Amino acid sequence: MGGLTRRRVIAILALTSILLITMDLRNSSSVSSARRLFGAIFHPIEGATRVLTTPINNIWHGITDYGDVSQDNKRLKDLIARQEGATIANIAGVREAQELLALNGLPTLAGIDSCTGQVVGQSPSNFSQTVEINRGRRCGIRVGMPVLNAAGLIGKVTESLDDRAVVMLITDPAYSLSVKIVNQPPPKVTVPNNVSVSPENQTTTTTSTTTTTTTIAPKSTIPGFTPGVTIATLPNASQNPPSSESTVAGDIRPGQGNVSQITVPPGANLPLRETGALEGRGLSRNPIVRFIENQPRFGVVYIGSPIVSSGGATSLAPPDIVVGTVSRIISRSGTLGPLLEVKVAANLESLNFVRVLLYQPTTERPSAP
Amino acid sequence: MNRILAIAQQPLTRLFLVALIVLSFQTTIFNTMRPFGVCLQVMLLLSTSSGLARGSEIGAIAGFIIGMMYDLVLSTPLGLGAVVFALVGYLAGMTNSFVHQPTWWTKMLLAGAASGLGMLFMPLALTIVGREGVMNRHILVVALVVGVTNAAVTIPAERLCRWVLAEPGQAR
Repeated sequence: MGGLTRRRVIAILALTSILLITMDLRNSSSVSSARRLFGAIFHPIEGATRVLTTPINNIWHGITDYGDVSQDNKRLKDLIARQEGATIANIAGVREAQELLALNGLPTLAGIDSCTGQVVGQSPSNFSQTVEINRGRRCGIRVGMPVLNAAGLIGKVTESLDDRAVVMLITDPAYSLSVKIVNQPPPKVTVPNNVSVSPENQTTTTTSTTTTTTTIAPKSTIPGFTPGVTIATLPNASQNPPSSESTVAGDIRPGQGNVSQITVPPGANLPLRETGALEGRGLSRNPIVRFIENQPRFGVVYIGSPIVSSGGATSLAPPDIVVGTVSRIISRSGTLGPLLEVKVAANLESLNFVRVLLYQPTTERPSAP
Repeated sequence: MNRILAIAQQPLTRLFLVALIVLSFQTTIFNTMRPFGVCLQVMLLLSTSSGLARGSEIGAIAGFIIGMMYDLVLSTPLGLGAVVFALVGYLAGMTNSFVHQPTWWTKMLLAGAASGLGMLFMPLALTIVGREGVMNRHILVVALVVGVTNAAVTIPAERLCRWVLAEPGQAR
């Protein structure tokens, strides 16, 4: 290796690096081929080393993680007991929702095939958050496909080999996804029977210590119109209340206009939704959601509001995959919407079995030659 | 057969094979054993030890090859780790220029410093190519832990690299 002067060595190495970095950042196919070829040579050696080092690995985890594992075990047993009942109810709810979506011709996760794999390693780097799974192109996995576990979305496939795939986690700074924030209405509290409510001054007197607030139907200045009620009638209508079959909006015939109806669109009580962009922020920091519009209709975002993928033609994931919940709200002045910190639903530190949805976003499809 | 043996005796071939084995340890056991939440960098150790063993030019070339192999299994841009590791190998190799007859502890000290610097250069290089969120206070912890652990095993690693990078017929 001798014979080269110091300056030449540095110049050659620097130029080669710049050339390779440029090629890689421009998604050169030769760089991908080189990675694939090296992977084919390296993975058998890595597999053998993994087998050899497993006992040492187990000893290390036995020393460092025993206390945590023991505590986790107790906590998880309690959690399983509590969630078993809820799971059954949720399964029924999900089935109903899927049937409704299918009836309306809307896309559902049930219609997307998936491939289940196991996490076999994580990135050996301190600066990127990726994991490697033991399924790849042979299972149909392609670059860009969303990856989730039982709790929710964990990331997307960034590299796919024959029997391996690299998954970029949702916390990686390079990860971005359009999401919906489902803003739940303010918490409702049941009013006990012994509570007297005075609608005139809208104050509440309560004898129960468990009651904190009361929701009272707001009054309207429009005669006969009560917000929150699906069908409202004008004063004349109260004398002849319409049957439930004749409540179609605009069903007023000429000469019979003395009974008219105001129809309030359904869904006023449904949770409001707003879209934003979720971005990873690296190690030990929760992802954030930007670009939330400061819409009065959307109202105040509450901590704990669920965040799901928004879907759409250019989105990286199909709609309604659970991402997490709002854990912190950072308000900003002016027209800038708030920044929302997200507590990811999946525990990214202990991933085991994951599911790759065989859904390739349009933005990740290779362009035709 | 003789030809195969001749190829196997080349320092570059030996370096590739040894780096392949070290890389397999890097991606398995050192990937899961994370003291203070930091992934130990044995590939970086190999680069610094190459520089210490055979000087700055050879250290830079060896570091480049080791970094390139590391890049091939990472999701970072290909060539980025190579340039950082080459720089670290080069810096470690400059020990021979600065220190007359370096002792075991000066080697450990310099290898630790070079490794720590490498862990600071890496996020800097990532930021230059457009990655965000990697420059934070955690990199100081990473640099410190990697520097200390690499310094602790520099002497055996340097001996290994002295053998790996020896020209055929050269005294080891």
